[in-house]
Amino acid sequence: VRRPAAAALLIGAGALSGPARAQPVIDRELDAYRLNVRSETHIRLYERSLLPGPAGAIVRSHRLLPIYEYASLRADDLDLPWRQDSLDVELRAWGNTTLGELEADRRIDGDLQTASVRYRQDLSWVRIGRQHFAGGAARYARFDGAAAGIGSELGLGAEAYGGLLVLPRWSANGYHQLGSAADTLLRNPEAVPEPDRADHWLAGGRISYASDWLDAGLSFHEQHERLGLTRRNLGADASFDGWDPVSFGGSAILDLDATDLADAHVWAEASPLPRLDVSVHYEHAQPALFLSRQSVLSVFSTDRYDELGVLAGYRAGARWRLEGGGFGQAFSDGRHGGRGELSARVSVDRADNTVLRVAYVRVAEPNNGYHSIRDSLRQRLQSDLVATAEAYVYLYDDPILGQSSSLVGAGTLEWWLEPQLSVLGGASLAHSPYALADAQAIVRVVYDFWREGAPR
Amino acid sequence: MRASFGLVLLCALALAAACHSRAPAEFPHAPHMLQRCGGPGQPECLSCTNCHSLDPAGQIATARTSCLRCHDGGERALLAARGLDDPESRIARTIRFSHARHLGLPELKGQCTPCHAGLVGSDARRFPPMSQCLQCHEHKAQWDRIECAPCHARADLEKLMPQSFLRHGPGFDRRHGTLARQNGPTCSQCHSQAQCDDCHDVSQDLTLAERRPEQVLRELIHERNFVDRHSIEARSRPARCMSCHTVDTCDACHLAHGVSGNGAQSANPHPPGWIGANTRSRSFHGRQARRDIVACAGCHEQGPATNCIRCHSVGAFGGNPHPNGWKSARSEGTEMCRYCHGG
Repeated sequence: VRRPAAAALLIGAGALSGPARAQPVIDRELDAYRLNVRSETHIRLYERSLLPGPAGAIVRSHRLLPIYEYASLRADDLDLPWRQDSLDVELRAWGNTTLGELEADRRIDGDLQTASVRYRQDLSWVRIGRQHFAGGAARYARFDGAAAGIGSELGLGAEAYGGLLVLPRWSANGYHQLGSAADTLLRNPEAVPEPDRADHWLAGGRISYASDWLDAGLSFHEQHERLGLTRRNLGADASFDGWDPVSFGGSAILDLDATDLADAHVWAEASPLPRLDVSVHYEHAQPALFLSRQSVLSVFSTDRYDELGVLAGYRAGARWRLEGGGFGQAFSDGRHGGRGELSARVSVDRADNTVLRVAYVRVAEPNNGYHSIRDSLRQRLQSDLVATAEAYVYLYDDPILGQSSSLVGAGTLEWWLEPQLSVLGGASLAHSPYALADAQAIVRVVYDFWREGAPR
Repeated sequence: MRASFGLVLLCALALAAACHSRAPAEFPHAPHMLQRCGGPGQPECLSCTNCHSLDPAGQIATARTSCLRCHDGGERALLAARGLDDPESRIARTIRFSHARHLGLPELKGQCTPCHAGLVGSDARRFPPMSQCLQCHEHKAQWDRIECAPCHARADLEKLMPQSFLRHGPGFDRRHGTLARQNGPTCSQCHSQAQCDDCHDVSQDLTLAERRPEQVLRELIHERNFVDRHSIEARSRPARCMSCHTVDTCDACHLAHGVSGNGAQSANPHPPGWIGANTRSRSFHGRQARRDIVACAGCHEQGPATNCIRCHSVGAFGGNPHPNGWKSARSEGTEMCRYCHGG
């Protein structure tokens, strides 16, 4: 199946791929492709204060009806005239309007999250459009631009990317100042100079080596704002999987401006028993180096913290799954913190019609902490009807606004009208430091269309 | 409210007890396959093919009526009693698999047990793990080429949780970024970039937990009423919020709700003595800033209007704010440095 429209989309990418070589004859009988169109409509109903006022003050409640729409398109393995299964297209956007007693003027909002086209040829690829690059020195960077990668049979590879920053948002007037909530609250927007987007750019790359037992890479990321350098990072990552049943890995980011380690993570994972997985993690971070280098505050701290912990999962038979773990944190000024969790999940019947999960979490940080228990139940009532129920309780070590606990109960009912179409209704009731009673309701309609060609 | 805590715990235990009592049995392969047979009044010896056969499409069919040769009560009653009303597995429906073709392979010699070994054991798995498939050279090659679709329907890939290979076990969340960079083509078999944005794109108002309220069996970021405890979470792992959020995210919300230093009507959340009544006071704001500068950034201006500069610029009475070990490759001539260093 040929898709001329898809081919037209990639005129630019085709040019990037260079002159067309002699390619295998396209098999017109069989073609693998995947097409997914998805729409999510969320209609939410609140009758509550949106959030507390200054110092937790009680504010007037509002009746609001926010409506959100998420739409996405994913088409993979499309054909080009000179090459089969070489083109992937991805689009996703969201929009929002709010009906009801909204004080602010912003009633329509939305953004384009992803809009990219990728061309693949053997072990190389080129992607243009709105996209993100994650991992390594980049951490998670969204941009409008181009990225490309090339690999080799020897396992060596290289990737590069560059473009204009997407966040803070540039697609909406005023969004580049503080973000959605504050845009309408700037006391004197005229006093803030209109920035030039061309000043906000990023670029980076990664070289890598991959074999059956080793994946390793060295990456670089540079990001600028109007006043200059925001981030200049060098990253290294490696995973070693050659000694069954244990695998190791690690990653680190060196801030080249501060010539200091911003972030490091080392882990080991093992399966000492067939149904038991254990992973050990050590992490180190210097929070000031997560700030932009244009932030005045970034020069006020070199404090850091280290975290060490273990996580384990055990599958007891086909129906029980137990997970747990704990982490301890040591801060450079001698303070300590910790985090622990334990959960059990059971599938009551083989078809997973009834599944129950109970989880306990304990978090302690130097200033406060909490215990929580969460009970969750998913029950398939009929083949096209699924219900869920859950309850949380949080107990705080030190009261928040005089309240020492939060309690939340929620439930949903989802009905599959067609294999591609479902309607979900849900409601929740909460008691928290910020609300004596917070009731919410939601209706969600999902349309999820798939079509795919037979594999070769 | 501790009573509520106990109540939720009791509910959990009660549900667990109720579920336990209702748990249906697996199909008991062992007594069927290992029973004594062939004697007077006993059935003939059983093999896989007594109940299972190939249908015209080459798929395995289960002849439920074969049960009735030995059991009374009718098929429906029998299956219901064993908790097998819906014996078709969710997993089986997601695999493109031809039993006929596989049974015809010379390596298998028409036998079921090379793949279904251990079926008669006490802890029998009805379906072989994927690792069983990958023992075959052909599928190993497909695996190496990162081709999932020949066996898995691609529409199902996003919904399947890996059972053996690629299993997202404990700790996966903590290292998924690195793994995604190293194994991008593998990840993209199931995941799109938009799925990364589900969690990482903070330009959207709805969190993933709000968009997926039915996923009560998973731990999602920002679960219900996260705002209650967001400061605890942020201090527990300082700066981890910034994997997705910029500091502006904090300040935008704090400003909107009057708890930001940038707001005209904001209340001061700091205790008495935070700054010090005079230059000789022993203030502790500096110590707190060293400990958790990201928390400061959540409310305070970070540019030339920051109130830090009033006291800490060169020549002012606040002294040098740079901590021991601080360094930068930039010169004092850059615009940000000039906020304090003059020029």
